[in-house]
Amino acid sequence: MSVKPDKAGSQPHGAPGVHTKPLWSVRPASDREAGDAVVSNFLLHWFPAKTYKPSLDWNYSFWLGTASAALLLLVTVSGLPLLFLYVPSVERAYGSVKDIEYVTTFGFWIRAVHRLSAHLMVAVVFLHMVRVFLTGAYKNGRGQGQKREQNWVLGVGLLLLTLLLSFTGYLLPWDQLAYWAITVGTNIASSIPFVGSAIRELLLGGRAIDQATLIRFYVLHVIALPAAIGVIFLYHMWRVRKDGGLARADRATLLPEKAAEAPSKTKTYTLLGVARGTSPAVKASTLERADTTVNSVPDLTRRILIVVLAIFALVSIASVFYHAPLEEPANALVTPNPAKAPWYFLWLQEIVTDTTVKIGSFTINGAFLGGVLLPGALVFLLTLWPWLDKSAPGSAGVWFPKDRRTQNAVFLAFVAGVLVLTFIGTFCRGPYWHLYWPWQAWPELPTRI
Amino acid sequence: MEKRTDSPYPKVDRPILAVVGVLLVISCALFVWSDRKHDWRYYQATFRAQVAEKLGAEKAKLLRPGLQQVWVADLKRADRCMTCHQAALWKGFETAEEPLRTHPAGPLRNHPVEKYGCTSCHGGQGYAVDATEAHGPVEHWEEPLLGKTLGEAYGLVDDKNAAMQMNCNVCHRYDRETKGAEAINLAKKLVTERGCRACHVVNGRGGSIGPDLTNVGEKAAEQYEYGRLSGQKTSFAWHVAHFKDPRALVPETVMPNFHFTTKEAQALSMLVLSWRRAPVPADYRPGTPRTDPQTAAEVETELKMKTGPGAWFVKTGCFVCHSIQALGVKSPAQIGPDLSTAVEDVQSRFGRTLDDFLREPTGTMSVVLSRQIILTPEEKAVAVGKLREAFAEYQKQKAEDAKGKKPAASIGAH
Repeated sequence: MSVKPDKAGSQPHGAPGVHTKPLWSVRPASDREAGDAVVSNFLLHWFPAKTYKPSLDWNYSFWLGTASAALLLLVTVSGLPLLFLYVPSVERAYGSVKDIEYVTTFGFWIRAVHRLSAHLMVAVVFLHMVRVFLTGAYKNGRGQGQKREQNWVLGVGLLLLTLLLSFTGYLLPWDQLAYWAITVGTNIASSIPFVGSAIRELLLGGRAIDQATLIRFYVLHVIALPAAIGVIFLYHMWRVRKDGGLARADRATLLPEKAAEAPSKTKTYTLLGVARGTSPAVKASTLERADTTVNSVPDLTRRILIVVLAIFALVSIASVFYHAPLEEPANALVTPNPAKAPWYFLWLQEIVTDTTVKIGSFTINGAFLGGVLLPGALVFLLTLWPWLDKSAPGSAGVWFPKDRRTQNAVFLAFVAGVLVLTFIGTFCRGPYWHLYWPWQAWPELPTRI
Repeated sequence: MEKRTDSPYPKVDRPILAVVGVLLVISCALFVWSDRKHDWRYYQATFRAQVAEKLGAEKAKLLRPGLQQVWVADLKRADRCMTCHQAALWKGFETAEEPLRTHPAGPLRNHPVEKYGCTSCHGGQGYAVDATEAHGPVEHWEEPLLGKTLGEAYGLVDDKNAAMQMNCNVCHRYDRETKGAEAINLAKKLVTERGCRACHVVNGRGGSIGPDLTNVGEKAAEQYEYGRLSGQKTSFAWHVAHFKDPRALVPETVMPNFHFTTKEAQALSMLVLSWRRAPVPADYRPGTPRTDPQTAAEVETELKMKTGPGAWFVKTGCFVCHSIQALGVKSPAQIGPDLSTAVEDVQSRFGRTLDDFLREPTGTMSVVLSRQIILTPEEKAVAVGKLREAFAEYQKQKAEDAKGKKPAASIGAH
């Protein structure tokens, strides 16, 4: 059936749900225009049309989630040129990284941005999790259909994926740092009873770290894990909207409705052509009240822009001065002293050494306890916590509420433990894993000539 | 349209956004600066000016700007030294200051840059394009430039540039003497004179009391025991101290004290550190055996042929295809007929005399005699004479054989 215009010169009608006007206004003049803007605007699909003012506060969320996303964007964008320059082969990898460092224009900077934003992402994602825990933001407040606990589980998944992405990237330069960090990491995996050596073999693609390992880690690093993190990230964002924004926005429902605004406001939606022509009237909640909310575009998006660009600028400036490490070419015969895992796993390495007990000539290896059992139990507890937390819905979206005092204290104790152990592992462990103060010089290490 | 209260955010956030914008501009300026700051840009400009002044603007135009690299696929080396050392292959800058001095021509004659690169001899980090990283010593690069600075740091006796000889000997390890590598030559002489092989395997032969030293240069610095060593903690320093007094470093050792002088100990240390399993192709290493060795019997037979009555045919290469049994020459391949009876055989095969055939050969021999074994008319005459002798000898042997006096095999050994 052919569509004929009703009369000459009139605008053609689009199919139902298809928006014909590509442009939208930041300052809509009518409800109709505002609705159209919502439909044709990508940002307003991501964010609600209106944002509860306190959700925008710098000191509630510290914008750590936005910062994580900005770092994910930065790490992805800086990874793309590296994809073209890096050669995933044991003979060529090291040389290709040296080439990126020395002869690719801005190569050292691109690599530093990639490395720095990857490390920062581990830190910021971890802090984001700490913030969400302390404010009880994984709890369902008073909104309907909220499933915040699901989003918390997704978040735990994103944290693990961030760690895995960073860890798989660690091997790629094929230098001593890479080789021995992966040795330490996969040896811990092999301490799992019965299946440990099989798991190590699966990770390495053999019994030694070689080309098979490199290609496995490469494919995981550039295809499998980024795809997974991308999908889960989008789901994470979608759930935030479905759950009614930040947990703090739930507080808005506690506010009294303004009597002055009677009769109750109605609002007309023309979203996606739903019930076209009948204009369903929806009762506005406190969330829509003019004095408690602002338009997401531009007030929310401006702040997001500030966070994203500030992170770009700071990482970029730091990368001019920070040199991503590249040690000697990987050598299976020479173990660097000390051989350390990546810094975010050093608290585990520290626990492994501290739980390795020597009784005479008999050694109880702590790798299983410190490297598998303990982190496994922590992740398990972390995942289940929203169901174990029995505090009132009213303490969602509040810093340090009274009825969550104990669990926050215990959680903070764990966080402090991880941080202290990470600090010791990073700054206080020297040759032969002996303890040194950070300002204390290590004994001179020998060189060839 | 719902009337909205004024948003407080633009007033607060716009200045912050402006600050962020400034930071972005600063970051752009910074990383452009980080690319422009390299010293090689200065050296290239200086050299261009020098060439223009000395040899004219036309010559200066031949200089290619930007990073310069020698890629030696055989050695897997990408050496960017000439990015700064612009004058290395130019004549006329022999007395200039480094990095703009001409490389001495002598060593380059046998070691062309395109086949050896720079770092395979000089050491240093060929990947790098800044002096500190390229020359070392820097962290995480174990092959610093083997130059005067290093020699002085080691207090090398006599020649402060001797450290580079370590790299000479990576390829020249099978040479008894290498021109220009005096320290290494001294050390090699000491290895023979002091009888190191009594206890150690060196280059695959020697005793088994001490450790095999064939690839001792591969041993990592961390694998030496430095407990009793004072001063520098390097493999080199360890070896020098150990050569001077083995028991001072390793009390339980059975290695005797040879009372080496400092110079000798340094030379020997350079030698042992040069014994590396370096990934160089065999044709970079003179003296590397490339054939399966001949047996004693084969060597004896060849010697006999070379000195016997058939020596002329061995020397010219005829024996590659032809045996001449009567003169004791046995071809390893025996592609052509035995030439003992050539005088008769040529006549019956080609209907021509031997002289005639050699003068204008046909068939395979025309190819061989025009391309591979080129004989002057005089030499051809010699050949004919020798072949006549061979035929006479053949007939004599045949007659003797008929009488059953002598076996044919021993002919030619008279």
